[in-house]
Amino acid sequence: MSTVEPTAGYLPELKALKVRLNVFVKMRWLVVLGIIAVTLSARYIFSISFQMLPVFIICLFLLVYNLWMYLWDRRLANDDTEGVIKRAQINGYIQVLLDLGILTFLLHFTGGITNPFIFIYVIHTTAASILLTKRRAYELTTIAVGMAALLAFLEYSGVIGHVNLIGFVPSTMYKQLNYVFSIIITLAVLAYTSTYITTAVAGELRQQHLKVDQLRDQLLKEDERELQRISGEVERLKDERNRFVRLLSVVTHDLQAPLVAVQSCISYVLDGYAGEVAEQQKGWLQRGSRRIDGLLVLITDLLDIPRIELGQIKQEMAELSLNEVINHSLEGLDLVAQEKGLRLLVELPEKSPVIYGSGRRLQQVIINLTNNAINYTQEGEINIRLSENADEIRVDIIDTGIGIPPKDLPRLFDEFYRGSNVEAKGTGLGLSIAKRIILAHGGKIWAESPCPETGRGSKFTFTIPKQKNI
Amino acid sequence: MSKILIIDDDVDLAAVEKGVLEREGYSVILAPNGVEGLVQARKEKPDLIILDITMPVMDGYLFADEFNRDKTIAKIPVVALTSYVESPLDQPVPFQVTEWVNKPIKPKDLVLLANKYLKKPVN
Repeated sequence: MSTVEPTAGYLPELKALKVRLNVFVKMRWLVVLGIIAVTLSARYIFSISFQMLPVFIICLFLLVYNLWMYLWDRRLANDDTEGVIKRAQINGYIQVLLDLGILTFLLHFTGGITNPFIFIYVIHTTAASILLTKRRAYELTTIAVGMAALLAFLEYSGVIGHVNLIGFVPSTMYKQLNYVFSIIITLAVLAYTSTYITTAVAGELRQQHLKVDQLRDQLLKEDERELQRISGEVERLKDERNRFVRLLSVVTHDLQAPLVAVQSCISYVLDGYAGEVAEQQKGWLQRGSRRIDGLLVLITDLLDIPRIELGQIKQEMAELSLNEVINHSLEGLDLVAQEKGLRLLVELPEKSPVIYGSGRRLQQVIINLTNNAINYTQEGEINIRLSENADEIRVDIIDTGIGIPPKDLPRLFDEFYRGSNVEAKGTGLGLSIAKRIILAHGGKIWAESPCPETGRGSKFTFTIPKQKNI
Repeated sequence: MSKILIIDDDVDLAAVEKGVLEREGYSVILAPNGVEGLVQARKEKPDLIILDITMPVMDGYLFADEFNRDKTIAKIPVVALTSYVESPLDQPVPFQVTEWVNKPIKPKDLVLLANKYLKKPVN
């Protein structure tokens, strides 16, 4: 079975040929009925007498022939292999030819040139003009006229007999040359004229179909080109992004490794491994070490931002049990709070809510927010509360600390923003990174100060939707 | 005496780690890359391996691959030092790491680590 579209490349109306052929077949059944009706009414209503037997024999032949065509056409209609159009054309041509032949026979037995139904030839030529190519149409028209002329001539010259239509026309009519001539000429004019008109109209339709097909192909090609261009562009951008992220990883490492080495060397001395260290020396070394710590954090934070922006987070995402995430985050932080004399209270639902996200990153957010709470609270407690509803989960971190001045609130989550009432500690990036992480999860984060429930301190809240379509 | 093999391309870091551990009485061998690391592992049969896995990860994984397949050394516990909290992005670790530790590691933590896996030498 061919994989090529079998109707591709053919003139559009030929595609319809297959379907229209069975119209021929249908009509032929009616034609048989018509012939019988006309014959009977001619004989019994108009009292025109002639031999009816040959007519009925021809009708029988027509029925058989039409049955054959019915079966052939049905095969063609279901046929989708290569060359089907060719076969359909042949079928159409044969049908018209056979029809012309049968018509000629029928005419011979029903009065030949004296039968007004001789002009039926024009119906066949018109049908041919609609269905076949211009050349074939004219061919068949000529054959039709030729058959009629041949019949008339053979009867006229006496080669074959003539059936007289008694009661209709004088029995010598067929011998009158000027009569015969005029009928044939009229037939020819009718046939060729109708063929001309019909092929012209069919030709016009053909052109339009071709144009439509061409336009459609053009549009499809353009669409495809555009599509390829865009997907090429997308691929290129993806590659660029991946290269950039890899570059970031290398840069992070190359910036951090030497700092880590310096840190280790200083720790080595500070811990006494290189000999005893005087108090004064210790102090200075510690200053240096702290600055390096800060720098390491800054580098990590800075390089985190593009990573989050470029969607690296999406690759880390998995199903998470939030109770676990929160407990993980607070490991160690409760000690820090204790050291400062603060209480760290955690409220978790009995059944841990599950969402889709990056555990590592959410831990980062919770640690950051809790650390901030601890840093900015002198006494009292820090409350971490996890809750959920049908659409989302919600985490509140409430402290009893110094709070945030109203004018700082709107810019709190900006990069490098440090509030007006804080010491110059930290990079100022923590909250902006937290915000980016939450946004990457499709959620929201905001702060309120003072906390609406207690009237003091601050309250930080973030929500994350439970749907997976981030 | 317990032997520890440290595979790290950072000369200074390795020197610090060696100093700390030798002070505790361990014997320390250094290797600057994965290939050397394998050689030393086979030769010295250490009791603990501290392996640096950082980006670019060429050596760490080169070592790991061979390490797995060599029955004579595959049983040695391996502690991986990394700059990341978990394994490096994108790449899963191809061998069983006994423990992940974050860089930088403080000297006292390093000692605790060694003591955890080895008997503290009488010294």
